[in-house]
Amino acid sequence: MLEFCQKIRRDLLTGVSYAIPFIACGGILIALAIAFAPMTPAGPDFAQSPRLKLVYDIGSASFALMLPVLAGYIAYAIAGKPGLVPGFLGGYFSDHIRAGFLGAILAGLLAGYVAEALKKIPVSKHLRPIMPILVIPILSGTLIGILMLTLLGRPVASLMTHADLALKSMSTGNDVLLAVVLGSMIAFDMGGPVNKTAFFFGAAMIREGNYQIMGACAAAICTPPLGMGLATMLRRRLWSTEEREAGVAGILMGLIGITEGAIPFAAADPIRVIPSIMIGSAVAAVIAMVGKVGDHAPHGGPVVLPVVDHKLVYVLAITAGTIVTAILINLLKAPAQKGTGEKKEVP
Amino acid sequence: MKIVAVTACPTGIAHTYMAAARLESTAKTLGHEIKVETQGALGIENKLTEKDIREAHIAIFAVDIEVEERDRFNGVKVIQVPLQEVLKNPHNVFAKIHR
Repeated sequence: MLEFCQKIRRDLLTGVSYAIPFIACGGILIALAIAFAPMTPAGPDFAQSPRLKLVYDIGSASFALMLPVLAGYIAYAIAGKPGLVPGFLGGYFSDHIRAGFLGAILAGLLAGYVAEALKKIPVSKHLRPIMPILVIPILSGTLIGILMLTLLGRPVASLMTHADLALKSMSTGNDVLLAVVLGSMIAFDMGGPVNKTAFFFGAAMIREGNYQIMGACAAAICTPPLGMGLATMLRRRLWSTEEREAGVAGILMGLIGITEGAIPFAAADPIRVIPSIMIGSAVAAVIAMVGKVGDHAPHGGPVVLPVVDHKLVYVLAITAGTIVTAILINLLKAPAQKGTGEKKEVP
Repeated sequence: MKIVAVTACPTGIAHTYMAAARLESTAKTLGHEIKVETQGALGIENKLTEKDIREAHIAIFAVDIEVEERDRFNGVKVIQVPLQEVLKNPHNVFAKIHR
């Protein structure tokens, strides 16, 4: 069982290792383009700057490839080359049905096991050459496509609709409760469908003239990567060298409002990381909501500061959320580390 | 003893190469001949040839992600450990060879 868990962990990390450069390229190009383009209530305005639009489009393409690459290389880790076709297709569909990175992880694992099972089917010598170039790609691709588009698509889509309705009926009620829900949703899957549901709600409200919902989202968007980055700096011994490197990258991504910067941490240790970042983001969202922070741009993090109302409270909200996230994850991680560390004490 | 090894970590910019250096220095003090292939962010470096693998008595995988081109090692006895193990206690890893 332990061996099986370690193998799954290795498979997931293989996918993550291929997806990281895509997140960096997409996230940074998009934020650069947004930072230099004039901000309007409808989003960044690229009408006057075709060059910035080009940079934005390149970044968007890199983001669009990220989920297929993630799923594709999880499947590749399980089944080798035959995993690539169903894996890439599964990741593409996961984006298509808005199942986000959780959907892509699921698709990658499914694709890998399907391809691995098909590889093991005994066939006669004459048929063997057509297995890897025809039979396995077509069968595995079709199967994953059907699974993702029918079986998984409907529940995810209905989940989205329910979340959307619930949010809209709540907005007239308790502001603080709404901020807790929005902040937690933003952090929960770090750029996935739950995050995007809350984000689109905030962005849509900008057009309605309500800037505070986006303000709460904007503060919550950046605290997961900022908080994880701060955590790796506060107690360096709790973190491996590569986690500390991911922490530096996380801070950079947090500054430009890319929640995805926390994914490397969440993928490696979801049970401790996801609750920590959800609470940190909720704290940031509540402070922003109570302080009537408004965000006129459909984007988050310190990078949108020029288009934010009540700038000081916004900075305070982000700082508080970041510190809460960092302290929580380090507290949760410390006992776990003691159990496996070198200084094991005999009772 | 002739040993081949592969190191790989998820980000592939620091740990992969630290582990490779540690394996090389430990092998030297123990009197083994070792060649370490790194599978980092730049892809496969110092690639093990077919001859390297054929002549090796044992292969050590110090990896947190899946090994690229694993098929090359069919028929070789493989010891697989988490990469951290090599950095924490390299002598333990080499001790596994004789077990």
